[in-house]
Amino acid sequence: MSAVIEARNLSRWYGNVLGISEITLDIEPGITALLGPNGAGKSTFMKIITGQLKANIGQVRIFGQPVWNNRHIFRRLGFCPESDAFYEELNGLEFLTGLLSLYGYDRKECLDRANRALELVELKDVSRRPIRSYSRGMRQRIKIAQTIAHDPEILILDEPLSGLDPLGKRRIIRLIKEFRDAGKTVVVSSHVLPEVEALTSEIILIHNGKILARGDIHFIRELLDSHPHMIRVKSPQYRELARLLAAEEYVLNITFEPEASAVVFETHHRDRFFNRLNELVLDPGLDLEEITSPDDNLQAVFDYLVGR
Amino acid sequence: MKEEILRVFSFYFFLGRKSGRTRTFFLLSSMAVLMALVIRTYRLAGHWTEDGQVVFQNFLMVFFLQFLIVLLGLFYGSSIVVEELDNRTLPYLTSRPVRRAAIILGKYLAYLSLTTVMLVFAVLLSYLILNLDAEFQAKDLLTVLRYSAILWLGLAAYLSFFSFLGTWLKKPILVGLAFGFGWESVIQYFPGTTQKLSVAHYLKSLLPQYTSSSGKLGFLFIRLEPTKPALAVAILAGIILVFLVLACLFFTYKEYLFED
Repeated sequence: MSAVIEARNLSRWYGNVLGISEITLDIEPGITALLGPNGAGKSTFMKIITGQLKANIGQVRIFGQPVWNNRHIFRRLGFCPESDAFYEELNGLEFLTGLLSLYGYDRKECLDRANRALELVELKDVSRRPIRSYSRGMRQRIKIAQTIAHDPEILILDEPLSGLDPLGKRRIIRLIKEFRDAGKTVVVSSHVLPEVEALTSEIILIHNGKILARGDIHFIRELLDSHPHMIRVKSPQYRELARLLAAEEYVLNITFEPEASAVVFETHHRDRFFNRLNELVLDPGLDLEEITSPDDNLQAVFDYLVGR
Repeated sequence: MKEEILRVFSFYFFLGRKSGRTRTFFLLSSMAVLMALVIRTYRLAGHWTEDGQVVFQNFLMVFFLQFLIVLLGLFYGSSIVVEELDNRTLPYLTSRPVRRAAIILGKYLAYLSLTTVMLVFAVLLSYLILNLDAEFQAKDLLTVLRYSAILWLGLAAYLSFFSFLGTWLKKPILVGLAFGFGWESVIQYFPGTTQKLSVAHYLKSLLPQYTSSSGKLGFLFIRLEPTKPALAVAILAGIILVFLVLACLFFTYKEYLFED
C-alpha cells in the first residue's frame, strides 16, 4: 500500500526547546496511533502535517504534495486540534455550518452535512444549544464532528478521546474504526495506552521529539513488559509481606516505607506477582489497605525505554 | 479568491453579529446619540444656545474622528488574527480550503461592515437629533452623508493599519493605543510635513470648513496644513491598500504559535 502521508527528517524547535527531531515516517490508510507522554512531540508533528506549523528542517507531503498553505490538501483533510477551543457564541449547528461554508458548499448542503455529522457524534438533540453550555465530552464530540463533516480522506485527531466518559470513548472509537473500514487514513494521538490499544494495533512510540519504536501493538507490549514494574502495597503487616515475597525470583527489589506502613516491590513479572499476592491475602490472611503502581504511567515506561 | 473572501466574510459577519463585543461597541458608538439627546433637551429648555451644526462639528472632530473610528479600527482590526490566537480557534480556519489572504480580507470586510453600521447609525442619528428642526434642508442631509463617507474612509484606513499590526505583533493593542491616541493626536500639532505622517491629517484635510479655528475646539486645527482633497482621498485609499496587502503577506508566510 502506498503512503498517504510522507514525513522526511522533520525537525522543529521552539526557540531552544526541541519539538520534534528528525522524524521520518510513512503513514498508510488505516489507523495509526502516535503514543507518547505529554510534551513528547505528538502535537507538533500533527500541526506540521496539517500545515499549522512549518518544519525547521525536512518536509512533509500528503498525497505527494507539500502541505503548507495547500488548500487542495485541506479539502481532503480533517483536523481535530487538541485545545478545547470554539466560537462560543455559536450553537453546535451554526459552528458546523459556518465551518462547512468555508468549503464553498451551498446553504442546504452545509445543513445536510452538519446534521449528518451531528448524528454521527450523537449531538443532534443539542445542536441548537450554545456551545458554551456543552459539557466537556460534548465539546470534544462537536470538535470531532467538524473534523468529519466534509467527509475528508484523512483525519488527524489530536487526543480525540480526552475528556470523554467511557461510553463517549466507545462511541468515538467505533466511529474512528468505521472511517478506517471506509478506507480512510486516520492518525490519532494519545498518551493513554489502553485507549490506543482499543483503536489500532499500528503504533508509533514518540518521546522527546523522536520516534522510539514503531510497530504492531504486540511488539510494543513486549517492549513495555521488559520494564520492571513498581508495585506499592500498604499493609499493617508490610514487613511480613516483604519477607514472604522476597523469596520469589521475579521480585527484583524491595523498598520499605515505614512511615506509611508500605512496601514497594519491583518485579518484571506483574501477573505472577499478583497471583502470589492473592494467595498470601487468602492463605496467611494478610491485610492489604492499598495497592498502587507508582510508575504505572507512560512517562515512567518511556523513561525506562530510553534508559534513564 | 473572490469567492473564498465571500465565504469568510459571511461566516465572520454572522459571528460578529452574535458577539458580545459588537453589542459593547454598538453601545459605545450610541454614546453620541445619547449626548445629542441630552444637548437637544437642554436646548429645548433654553439652557443651550449654540447652533446644532456647531455642536455636531465638535462631535465629529472629537468623538467620531479622534475617538470612535480609532477605537473601532483598533479593536476590530487588531483582533483579526489575535482573537483566533487568544481563543485558539486559528486551526479551524487555517485547515480549511481558503487562502490565508482570503481569511484576512474576508474578516476585514466583515468587521468593516459591522463597524460601518455602528458608525453610520451614530453619525446620522446624532446629526438628526441636533439639527432636525423647521430650518432643516435636504442639503444638510448631503452634508452629513459626506461626513459619514469621510469617517468611513478613516475607519477603513485604521482598520487596515491595525489589521496589519495584528498580523505582525503578538500584542498589538498597546502599540495600537499608543499610535491611535498618542501619535495620531500629538503629530497634528507639528508644523510642516510631519503632520502628514498620520491618518487623521488626511481626514481633517477633507473637512475644509475646519481649517480655520471655528467652534469650541478650533484650536485643534490651528496648525493644520491641509492636503488637497483629491490627494487626501488617494493617500487614504493607498493606506488601506498597502496595509491590507502587508497584512495578507504576513499572515500567509508567518506561522502563529499559541502562548504555551
